[in-house]
Amino acid sequence: MNWDWEKLQKQRQGQHSPGGPPNFDDLQQQFEKFKRFKAPGWQFIILILVGLWLLSGIYIVDPDEVGVVKRFGAFDRVTASGPHYHIPYPVESVLTPKVTQIQRVEFGFRSVGSSRLSTFQQGQSREVPEESQMLTGDENIVSVQFIVQYMIKDAKDFLFNVYDPTGTIKHAAEAAMREIIGKNKIDDALTTGKQRIQSETRDLMQFILNNYKTGVQIVAVQMQNVHPPEQVVEAFKDVASAREDKSRFINEAEAYQRDILPKARGEAARIVNEAQAYKGAKVRKAQGDANRFLAVYEEYRKAPSITKKRLYLETMENILSDPAAEKLILSDDALRKSVPYLPLEKLPRAGKTAPAKQ
Amino acid sequence: MKKTTIAIAVAILLGALVLTQSMFTVDETEQALVLQLGRPVGDKALGPGLHFKIPLIQNVVYFDARILDFDAQPEEITTTDKKYMNVDSYSKWLIRDPLKFYQKVRTIQGAQARLDDIVRSQLRVALGRYTLIEVVSLKRKEIMDALTERTRELIEPYGIDVIDVRIKRTDLPPENARAIFGRMKAERERQAKQYRSEGREAAAKIKATADKERTILLADAKKQAEIVKGAGDAEATKVYANALSKSPDFYEFTRSLEAYRNGLKNSTRFIMTPDVPFLKHFR
Repeated sequence: MNWDWEKLQKQRQGQHSPGGPPNFDDLQQQFEKFKRFKAPGWQFIILILVGLWLLSGIYIVDPDEVGVVKRFGAFDRVTASGPHYHIPYPVESVLTPKVTQIQRVEFGFRSVGSSRLSTFQQGQSREVPEESQMLTGDENIVSVQFIVQYMIKDAKDFLFNVYDPTGTIKHAAEAAMREIIGKNKIDDALTTGKQRIQSETRDLMQFILNNYKTGVQIVAVQMQNVHPPEQVVEAFKDVASAREDKSRFINEAEAYQRDILPKARGEAARIVNEAQAYKGAKVRKAQGDANRFLAVYEEYRKAPSITKKRLYLETMENILSDPAAEKLILSDDALRKSVPYLPLEKLPRAGKTAPAKQ
Repeated sequence: MKKTTIAIAVAILLGALVLTQSMFTVDETEQALVLQLGRPVGDKALGPGLHFKIPLIQNVVYFDARILDFDAQPEEITTTDKKYMNVDSYSKWLIRDPLKFYQKVRTIQGAQARLDDIVRSQLRVALGRYTLIEVVSLKRKEIMDALTERTRELIEPYGIDVIDVRIKRTDLPPENARAIFGRMKAERERQAKQYRSEGREAAAKIKATADKERTILLADAKKQAEIVKGAGDAEATKVYANALSKSPDFYEFTRSLEAYRNGLKNSTRFIMTPDVPFLKHFR
C-alpha cells in the first residue's frame, strides 16, 4: 500500500507540471516532504476509509417505498420515506420494496408490448387457452381472461415469509378463480354473475394469501374477457341472434296487429255510418212521401171525383205521349176475332203506325 | 519497537480471523443448524441474527425458513363417474424441523421429490372417490382440505410442514373436452331453436288475436248496421202507414198511377179497345 501511495504521489507530481520538462530538484524536495508526512498520511487514509464506511450507512427511502433494516440478517425495523441511517455493512443492511405501487398480473392472455399499465384491448393481446379455459359448475367450459392487481401491505412479511411471492400470487389467483368458476354456471359467468365472481375470487385469493402470510393485499380481480370457447362460440352467438329473432317476430306481429286493427275500426265505423245514413234517408223519404201524399189527399178530399179523373187523364196522357209507345186500338169485334191468333210479332213495330181502324 | 508493531498487527489479524471464523449471521429468510464434527449442537435451529460457533470443529448448515413452493406436474385422474381429468396442483410447505429435514431429505429438491410421491398418490386416492362435478365444483374445498391434512401427516416425519395443497387447474383431456364442446353446442342450438319457436308462437298468437278482433269488429259493425237499417225501415213504414191510412183507396189510386207512369215507359205496346175509360170520348 505504501508503494502504491508513493507511486500515486509521483504520478500526481508529474501531472502538476504538464508543460516543460520535470524539475528534478523540485521533485526530490517534494518527495522528501512526502516521506516526512508518511505517518500522518496513513492515519488520514484510515480516517477517510472509516468515514466512507460510516457514510455508506446513509440511505434514502423514496415516497413509494419503505425501508426494511436487517441487523446481522435479522429483521430490525421498518423506516418510512425520507433519509435514514443504518449501521454500515456488515452489521446492518436495508431493503426498499415499493409498497404503494400496484402490480398487475395477467391470466389467460398476454398484452402485446406488455406494459404494466396497458389495459386490455381485444386484438392487442394474445390468448393463452391453457390458462383461460376452465370448467364451470354445470360441466361446461368457459374462457376467462382476467387480471389481478395487488400491492405490498406488509413489507416484512412480503420480503421474508414466502420464497416466491409473485409466483405464489399467480398460483393463488389461478386456484381461486377456478374454484369460484367451478361453483358457478356458465351463464352466470358469461352474463350477470361477473361482479360477484370477481369479488368472491378476490376474497378467496386474499384468504389464501393471508394463510401463507405473504403480506400482499389484493386490490382487485377484474375479468377482462369472458367468452365461450372458440369451438362453440358460434352456437352461443346464434342463441343471441335467436333471442333477437324472437323479439323481432313478436314486433312484426305487433306491427301487423297495429296495422289491421285501426283499419278494421275504420271499416266498422264506415259500415255503421252507412247504415245510419240509410236509416236517415229512408225515414226522410218516407216523411217526404207521406207529406206529399197528405198534401195531395187534402186537395183530393175537396173534389174527389174530378180530381181522380184529372189525375187519371194526366197520367194516361203522360204515358201515351211517349213517342216510343206503340198504340193499337182494336174494336171489341176485331179483338174477339183475333184473340185466338194475334200475330203480335208481325205487327209493325214502328211507333208512327196509325192505329187500326175498324 | 518495530517488532512489537508487527506482533500487534499479527495478533490483530489472527484475532480478526478467529472472530470471523467464529461469528456467523443467519438471514431473516433462513434458519441454521450448527454441526460439531457432523453431530448437531443443540436441539433447535437458529433463527435470524448474529451467532457464534467454535471455528474449525463446528460448521453451519443453512435452510430456507420461508414458505416454499412445490408445483406438481399435471396428473391424469379417473373420477368415480369414469371421467378423465388433468389435475394440476401446487403445495406450499416449509421446513419445520431442519435436523429431521437434513437427515431425511437434505435438500429442497429431495423434499420436493418426497412431496411429489405423496401428493400424487393422495390426489389419486382422494379424487378417485368423487365424481367430476364434485371435484370441480361441489366438494372442491372439502377435497383440498382432506388432501392437505393427509399430506401433512405423511410428510411430517421429514421435518416438513405442509400449509396448503391446492388444486389449481382441473382440465379435461382433449377428447373429453370435445365431447363437452359438442354438448354445449347442442344445448345452445336447442336454446336458439326454442327462442325462435317461442317468437313464432307469440307472433302467431298476436296475429291470430288481431285477426279475430278485426273479424269481430266488422261483424259487430254489420250487426249494428242491420239494426239501424231495420229501425230506419220500421220508422219509414210507420210514417207511411200513418199517412196512407187516411185514405187507402186514394193511395192505391195515386200509387197505381205512379206505378203505371214508371212501369210503362219506353216502347210499350198498348193494345186497347175503345171500352177503355181513357178512350170513352174517342168512340
